[in-house]
Amino acid sequence: MRYENRQAPEGINVTPVHPFKQFAQLLFAAALLVIILVVLLQFFGGWIGKRVPFQYEQALMEQVDISLGSESPPPEMVSYLNGLAQQLSAVMPLPKQMSVNVHYSKEDVFNAFATLGGNLLFYRGLLEQMPNENALAMVMAHEIAHILHRDPMVGLGGGVVSMVSLSMITGQAGFAGSILDKTGFVTGTQFTRHMENEADQAALAALARQYGHVNGADALFEVMRQHTGENKTPDWLERFAATHPLSEDRLDAVSRRAAESGWSLEGDLTPLPARFHDWLKQ
Amino acid sequence: MLISNLEVLPGQKIVRHLGLVQGSSVRSKHVGRDIMASLKNIFGGELQGYTELLQESREEATRRMQKQAQEIGANAVLNVRYSTSSIAAGAAEIFVYGSAVELEDHV
Amino acid sequence: MFEIISFVVLLGCGYLFGRRAEKKHINDIIEREKTFNSLPVIASRYPPENQYYQQQLVAGNVVVASDYFKSFTAGLINIFGGAVAPFEPLLDRGRREAVLRMKEEASKLNADLIFNIKLETTRIATGRTGAIEVLAYGTALIPGSKPAPSTAEAPRAM
Repeated sequence: MRYENRQAPEGINVTPVHPFKQFAQLLFAAALLVIILVVLLQFFGGWIGKRVPFQYEQALMEQVDISLGSESPPPEMVSYLNGLAQQLSAVMPLPKQMSVNVHYSKEDVFNAFATLGGNLLFYRGLLEQMPNENALAMVMAHEIAHILHRDPMVGLGGGVVSMVSLSMITGQAGFAGSILDKTGFVTGTQFTRHMENEADQAALAALARQYGHVNGADALFEVMRQHTGENKTPDWLERFAATHPLSEDRLDAVSRRAAESGWSLEGDLTPLPARFHDWLKQ
Repeated sequence: MLISNLEVLPGQKIVRHLGLVQGSSVRSKHVGRDIMASLKNIFGGELQGYTELLQESREEATRRMQKQAQEIGANAVLNVRYSTSSIAAGAAEIFVYGSAVELEDHV
Repeated sequence: MFEIISFVVLLGCGYLFGRRAEKKHINDIIEREKTFNSLPVIASRYPPENQYYQQQLVAGNVVVASDYFKSFTAGLINIFGGAVAPFEPLLDRGRREAVLRMKEEASKLNADLIFNIKLETTRIATGRTGAIEVLAYGTALIPGSKPAPSTAEAPRAM
């Protein structure tokens, strides 16, 4: 019996592919898959979300009972905010079966948002920065526009559904998952930015109807720009990946939209109620 | 090519031993299968997608080992062993190795 | 922006250094395999019986790590399925390196043959990229003369 060690030729146990070419093809295909998936699910989920009756939304919110600024808010502030919301809802106009309910939180957060069931939440941190009622009305009308457009429901249907299904796929991609997640997220922001732009447009129209001019809207975005510290010119990537349009762009859009629709940028500003700043301190 | 996990073949004479030959293959299934499998995992039972995956992978590894044996002039691989290991999440490697031999009068 | 840059840098490092290291390793393996070609490794349990050999268990192991680029591509492959090509050369390298180390040990003992080789591969989790360990072991047959039979009957395992 003879024993030898014959050397098998190289490469039998290796699939012959060029690593970089394979990588590039896969990355392209995976990114495309993610983008198509997110776009489809955003549309599909949004379409379903819009068709859920508003009453169901309200009933849902009553059941979950989220404490929206429930820690003894000053009653004058709440009734003032709700009064302003009523006026703006009337000029939006918000359909009869829909209604908004404004909540106030004493926390020092520079934000306001609209959520399911026509609920709006305003934080003290934002209200403190409001120079006049027109600017506040701009925020309020913007949030009411989200309710009018059913954006919280569309966000729940489209945004949440697409992100959950996306994570099912990217969860399998191990190492590459985080990049694909970002691709999906950025794709999703195209939709949220679209919602924000639409809400801005509707809010500006409401402002024009309520006050006869749109003066004060620019003051809001100026405050926002200062708050976020956007003094440098943002690069294309920041602009592309942001969930909201940049304050700078929104500021530009105010004058553009005003010119397009013939709304006056000049007009008397309505001051905030005399006791507004006392309410903030309560 | 004879592939066997026997070490001695009754009635056949081994002329020479040509050393170790091996085949390996790493494969994964597409996400659809992975998601189905994770759902199936709730209920238990056979994960057909993965059975298939490992089967295909095993065939590929065996083919590769056979190719090595052929290239070095063997006509049989004896004492063959398989081993399976999970290399990354969702990807499994099948490895097969054996002793390449030349049998007398074997076609 | 910073994230994209760091991602590209990591991928680039993985690709360039990983590829260079792999090429170097494979060439090194090929060279060393040539030197040890005179020491056959046989996957059979029955050693030749026409000669007396001393026996000794020999082993070789190695842990090889994947690189950022390989692991990234493997993650992408997992979405579509199919052969996970980036890991195949990695496993091939690990296996051959382990066998070579086993052979090195056997050749230090002046062995003629290694019988009944067995190979084990295990995934070892090191951070996010991952690594594998390959262990090769077998019985080295060292030529020698039969020791003089002792008068006392040696205890034998049944």
